[in-house]
Amino acid sequence: MMEPKKEAEKLIHEVEIEKGITLDDEFRERLKNEIAEKIKAEIERRKKEVEEKVEEEYFVRFSLNIRLQHLTLAIGVLLLIITGLPIKFHESKWAELFFEVIGGIQVSRILHRVGAGMLIFVSIWHTIYIAFTKEGRKEFRELLPRKKDFLDFWQNIKYMLGKTNERPKYGRYSYIEKFDYWAVYWGMVIMVLSGLILWFHNFFLGIFPKFVFDIAKEAHSDEAMLATLAIVIWHWYNAHFNPHVFPFNPTIFTGKISKERMIKEHPLEYEKIMREKLMKEEKSDEK
Amino acid sequence: MRRFLYFAIFLFAVSQTSAQLRNERCFVCHGVKNFGIVEHGKFKSLYVSKEDFEASVHSKFACVSCHVDVRVIPHLTKPQRIHCLQCHFEGNVVGAPVTAKPEKYKESVHAKALAKGKNAPDCKDCHTVHYVRKPEDPNSSVYKTRIPELCGRCHETVKEEYYNSIHWAGIQKGELSSAVCSDCHREHDILPPEDPRSSLNPKNVVGTCDKCHSDVKLMKRVGVPVQNPEAYKESFHGIALKFGVVRAANCASCHEYHSVLPSRDPRSPIHPANLAKTCGKCHPRANENVAKGKFHVLPGERESGIVYYVYTFFKWFTLIVLIGLFTHIVLDLIGHIRRKRKKE
Repeated sequence: MMEPKKEAEKLIHEVEIEKGITLDDEFRERLKNEIAEKIKAEIERRKKEVEEKVEEEYFVRFSLNIRLQHLTLAIGVLLLIITGLPIKFHESKWAELFFEVIGGIQVSRILHRVGAGMLIFVSIWHTIYIAFTKEGRKEFRELLPRKKDFLDFWQNIKYMLGKTNERPKYGRYSYIEKFDYWAVYWGMVIMVLSGLILWFHNFFLGIFPKFVFDIAKEAHSDEAMLATLAIVIWHWYNAHFNPHVFPFNPTIFTGKISKERMIKEHPLEYEKIMREKLMKEEKSDEK
Repeated sequence: MRRFLYFAIFLFAVSQTSAQLRNERCFVCHGVKNFGIVEHGKFKSLYVSKEDFEASVHSKFACVSCHVDVRVIPHLTKPQRIHCLQCHFEGNVVGAPVTAKPEKYKESVHAKALAKGKNAPDCKDCHTVHYVRKPEDPNSSVYKTRIPELCGRCHETVKEEYYNSIHWAGIQKGELSSAVCSDCHREHDILPPEDPRSSLNPKNVVGTCDKCHSDVKLMKRVGVPVQNPEAYKESFHGIALKFGVVRAANCASCHEYHSVLPSRDPRSPIHPANLAKTCGKCHPRANENVAKGKFHVLPGERESGIVYYVYTFFKWFTLIVLIGLFTHIVLDLIGHIRRKRKKE
């Protein structure tokens, strides 16, 4: 792009030739500066417009805090599943192979405890987050189940069956996401409590009767299976294999969601954000 | 060479035909009960019971078939020591049965101790010299019910421990499937527990007990729960041991080995009153709490009590949840495909 002053000079020159006149030097200089100013303003305006457009196309869906919580949980759970399943299925060939590859059951035991540590850490982190941060409290309120979730569920079934063409209008969290969130609570309570009993059995042996350890072992093993299947079948379908997002929905890792997906998947939240934005703009205009 | 061989066979045949006669001649002296000599200041009996010899597996053989250096009767010199392998070797012509047992014996603690010059048994110490009978024969020195006495001749304290056990009680009641020494220690290839091939090695103990204790018919007959080894293998102890953690408890860690007793016996380490001490060997904080609950629990069995209900709850809960989630996924996919087709 040319310099605004040069551009103005060129324009004036063209007009002079066209009309066959020569302008007064002082007037000419003033005119040139005025035109240059206008050109500059226009360039600025366009630049801003482009920037705003980019800003508008993406929304920040998850804060860094949430993303890190999910990442810690995900790595912890994967580690636990990988080192836990061979114990449950210790009679299979692949379990033997796994222990051979990893360097023995003793190594696997330590890795399982590392995963357990991550899980316990993230559960404490999350509790503090939803109790003591403004953002956390807001997110928690958004995740509370409401009557609308049941209506959405019903609407979605009708939609999936083709009885209606209207998709349920989700807010910040759909009933599917809320289900995932609350399922983790159930899983966490069972796994962490039973896991701690098994981990520190020598300590708890002085406190609990023997059958408590049998219950802890059974619950740990069974809930692990349920959680694993739920993650692999349900969560991975919704986050990876669902045709809407295949092969991968990166939002939980990048925090960003496109405007298009926002309108489609969280229309009520989109409306709310837009309404708030308008109100803000109106307020600043009044000032 | 060939001529020599024929000659040997001929000699052998001759000796066979006149066996009875010859043996009669031996028994003239050796058949007298207090026949013997004084050796190193001690009386040594040289008596051989004719009756017992004739009931043995070697009854059809002449004394001199083994005592080959006795040519004249009465013999004036002390016959050489003889060894079972004189006949029991691969390719022998007298038809002596050849098994892998002598070879197995050579690997055993007994053979190794003997080789070092220690006092340890070889064939004749268990099988006797003149009265070898088949192990199935109730009068055999190695008949099942006599084995503890036989081994106990040297292993005296162990014998006493064993005589207190439920295994010996079983034998005395006539339950011949009950375990004696050789059922756990094996017969000929008795190896020290440190040897990975040993039936007593921590990694093999479960398999050793399992031989009988997973026999459904036998366990039903003797009234011992057959699922115990199975439940053990599912336990953390069992899994840890399977993958090489040898300090994990195996059967013998809790049940003892020579003096195995049922939990109802107050002397038993698994009697409820003794459990705290037994578990305490590895788990220092164990107290009377460890007696509150069942052992060898298989979650799928109704007898497992509360664990069974936990198992059942999770079974149905998992099934229902997964059917729900799966249906949701299938509906979503079908809906997606239908709409895509419509668009096209």
